[in-house]
Amino acid sequence: MKMRLGGILAVAALILGLIMAGPTQAAEPIVLGCPLATAFLYGWDAERAIKLAVEEINAQGGVKIGAEKRPFQVEVIDTRDLEPGVPVSDALLSVEKLILEKKADFIVGGPVRSEAALAAMSLLAKHKKVSILTTGVLTPKYHAMVKKDYDKFKYCFRITGEAQWMVGGEIIPCLVEIGQEHKLNKLFIMIQDVAHARAGGGGIAKVMATKGWTVLGEPQIFPTGTTDFSMGLLKAKKEGAQVILVWMDMPETSILLKQWYDLKVPALPFGSIIEPAEQPGFWKATEGKGEYCLANVVNAGNAPSEATPWTMKFCDAYAKKWGVEPEGYGTSSSYMAVYTLKDALERAGSLDSDKVVTALEQTDLMGVYGRIRFDPQSHQVIPSLDPKEGAVGTIFQWQAGKRVVVFPKSIAVGQIKLPPWMGK
Amino acid sequence: MKRRRGTMRRERLDRGIKVRTDSVYAVSGWPEMAYLALPRLVLILGLLAAPFIFYFNPYWQRVLSIICIYALLAMSFDFLAHFVGLVSLGGAFFVGVGGYTAALLNTELGLPPLLTIPLATLIGAGLCTLLLLPCLPLRGVYFAIVSLMFPLLASRIIEALNILGGTDGILGVDGFASKWVEQYVLILAVLLVLFGLRRLAGEDIGLVLRGVKDNDQAVKASGLNITTYKAIAVFIASAMGCLAGACLVHLYMWSGISQFALDFSILPIAATVIGGVGSLVGPVLGCLILVPISELLRDFGTLRIAVYAVILTAFIVFRSEGLMLYGSRKYHQFERWVEF
Amino acid sequence: MEIIIYGVVNSASLALMALGFTLVYGISRLPNFAHGALYVLTGFATWLLLNRLGLPYILALTGATVLIGLVGAAMYRFILIRIRGMAISEIIASYAIGLALLEGMRWGGLKGATFILPAFAEGSVSVLGVSVDWQRLILIGVGAVLVGLLFLFVHFTRVGLALKGMAQDERAAMTLGIDSDQMAVVAMALGAFFAGAAAVVLLPLGNIVVESGYNVLIMAVAVCIVGGLGSWTGAILASFLIGFAQILTVVHLGAHYQVVVALLAIIITLILRPSGLFGRQKELEERV
Repeated sequence: MKMRLGGILAVAALILGLIMAGPTQAAEPIVLGCPLATAFLYGWDAERAIKLAVEEINAQGGVKIGAEKRPFQVEVIDTRDLEPGVPVSDALLSVEKLILEKKADFIVGGPVRSEAALAAMSLLAKHKKVSILTTGVLTPKYHAMVKKDYDKFKYCFRITGEAQWMVGGEIIPCLVEIGQEHKLNKLFIMIQDVAHARAGGGGIAKVMATKGWTVLGEPQIFPTGTTDFSMGLLKAKKEGAQVILVWMDMPETSILLKQWYDLKVPALPFGSIIEPAEQPGFWKATEGKGEYCLANVVNAGNAPSEATPWTMKFCDAYAKKWGVEPEGYGTSSSYMAVYTLKDALERAGSLDSDKVVTALEQTDLMGVYGRIRFDPQSHQVIPSLDPKEGAVGTIFQWQAGKRVVVFPKSIAVGQIKLPPWMGK
Repeated sequence: MKRRRGTMRRERLDRGIKVRTDSVYAVSGWPEMAYLALPRLVLILGLLAAPFIFYFNPYWQRVLSIICIYALLAMSFDFLAHFVGLVSLGGAFFVGVGGYTAALLNTELGLPPLLTIPLATLIGAGLCTLLLLPCLPLRGVYFAIVSLMFPLLASRIIEALNILGGTDGILGVDGFASKWVEQYVLILAVLLVLFGLRRLAGEDIGLVLRGVKDNDQAVKASGLNITTYKAIAVFIASAMGCLAGACLVHLYMWSGISQFALDFSILPIAATVIGGVGSLVGPVLGCLILVPISELLRDFGTLRIAVYAVILTAFIVFRSEGLMLYGSRKYHQFERWVEF
Repeated sequence: MEIIIYGVVNSASLALMALGFTLVYGISRLPNFAHGALYVLTGFATWLLLNRLGLPYILALTGATVLIGLVGAAMYRFILIRIRGMAISEIIASYAIGLALLEGMRWGGLKGATFILPAFAEGSVSVLGVSVDWQRLILIGVGAVLVGLLFLFVHFTRVGLALKGMAQDERAAMTLGIDSDQMAVVAMALGAFFAGAAAVVLLPLGNIVVESGYNVLIMAVAVCIVGGLGSWTGAILASFLIGFAQILTVVHLGAHYQVVVALLAIIITLILRPSGLFGRQKELEERV
């Protein structure tokens, strides 16, 4: 008996000793909490980019805060917020889990769905956590709310493009260019039944009408999950549409494009947002029928181009690590968010939320998709058509199996081509 | 204990102390009173003390609030299904209606949370009952399917007509004044509803409702209007759902179409099945088990949904009486093998 | 003209989706809420057989549909048979199994927009002045053929007649020596097979995503309720009704009301006439 007891005590002491000794603790890591819908493109693209950035930064020693260098640590929680049957409160609970239990110092990435991100703003204000939104969430409401109630929402930043600039600064000029080059002016709009699509589609309709284009009918709104677009496409064909504007972030848009191809509708599909087309796997998924489709990946770097010296470095590093080119639109922005945060932390010299907010507002960094600066009142990244001035977007066209960047002209790699059956 | 099939059988007898506490003898001594009071006291004191126990772990305090919300929904399902015979697969409808009402009262009229919650409960319950009124005569599977359609229809209509904030929802709803208020409002609501409903089941109206469940033709033949009683039951159940929805809205300071999500209909059903149908405590117990498991499994992403679907199936098929019945059987009775 | 052609296409796809569901309910009174999950599972299985094992398409198709029939049979034989007759438990249990299958597939990798099945034939053709793609015409053809085969099966084979007998009156069938449990398993296998057949024909039109499981379930329930739970003619008629209603809504009202139409159809039918168009329920069974 005694020997047994002694034996047990000895083993316990040994284990305790091992635990205490432990691996020599490096400097305390800075925890990045990432609430993302990882089962969806707009979630896993951010997750992969964040992990790539963190790996690169840690390999170089980490973030220099004051005198010591501290590594980043990534904690990802799947919010499932892009699934239709999941309430937003689930996503909010994930954010709280990251803040309260995983002791996240900063929130990077999501929540991805606009509804959840807007709701999370109050939560982040309550806990005074600095967050950088990098994917999904196109609604202009986000930065409008920061501007309206700066003192409450100043901890929220967004480093990815949003719908207002996308429409006014990129889509409209691109459409105008297409119109001038190829002599097209009849527009047909098909959008998803979501707030950002309705606002965007409606806005584009109004503006293009003033630029001498004929907008055929009202924007056709399709509920999420529609599997048949025949009526809409046939209407477009009948009314002689020359450009079909698509704004849908559901996977069923590949059905739309396949139908467009099979019905040989003589119109150019212009995707302000077309989720499946943003992925390299789209070509195979539509068996090539998605050719000539234009898609917008919101931030440069999500399709290969030479926006800045860093762009191709990022594309190659991502392709090397994950085996596929950057896809979706949250990739380059999530990557840059981590680097921007590192830059701000090093300037602030501490993790204090208010100091980091001030440091972020003073960011001026040449990143993967242009010059990264935040508007001091709305905390939205400043966009531009010139990578030397601000964050640049990207519109590309699928040509012969490749994503060819066609807009803005400052970073374009190729020209826009029309499908052969348009006869022009 | 070896079971020799064919000559042995299992016998269950009430425990001595149960027999002793059966009627007026319940107050005959401290052990008897303790026996009766213990389970209830554990539940009440446990729930009341929970926020203090988790004082250093604010995440679990938050989980506790979510447990209470689901507990209210589960009790509403249990009440309708096992006391009235109406299986409602659309509990999310009540949550959504209550939530939107509270959000609108708060943002449009500027009322504080402690006022919007009771108002939303009553107004929301009224709305739900009115909308469900044409469907009340339906029975069985038909009522189940129609109730499943209501939250789906509501969310699609709000989406299609772009009203009430459309897909963005209503933002900027006030939160509770303090963390303690936040938690105790919910815990007290759960306790009051639980014991209130159990009391109701014993009243006259409770008897009529149970009669409706057992044999509605007989109740009709007694000259009572079934639809009125069903409407009263739906009012009570939807009041619980709307209360849960209103609290949720103030907890997270937002309201949107995802309040009609399927999750709010399915988890309460799972909790009721696992916890024990028919006894209103079962659903509360079920929530106390399921929600923490769901949270602990969060690291596994979507696998946790598959896991709890499997658990739900296993319980429905193999142990459909639930844990509560199993537990109370063990508490009140003992088993032994006898020869026959 | 397009309304008619595409209306027929839409109706045929709804009929394909609903056939399996109404079959199972008609014979064993089991509302199979795992229907949508079986649909997606067939698609995923076909994809795996096609891409991971490299089987030729026809083999992958038949393999997957037969497999799904077996899965349905197993599901019934080992799980659902124990709660036979308890309607609400059946709904909840079958829904839970469906949920487990769908979310399990999502966790197992079915995410994103890149899972597709190749169409049977490419290109489009002009029918009565309207261009339709071949796959959609094939859809109508397959639907008609399946219904025809089902009719023949039920009227001219022993097993089919036994199923029909069970659908009409279970007790009488049992007195004639028909094993109701076995027949229920067969019915479930057939129902699952039809769900699989629908998947194989409909999925090449788009891509395989987990969400379509939930949508297919809602559509199948809508069609079956409007047509009358358990009646095959009712289901076909109802699919035409709802199919055309949806197309007309898209053309005249606005595409965003499509799903609202289907849901309203369910609610209105249940309020006014719960047994639907051709249901054989008695008045008292369905409402007080």
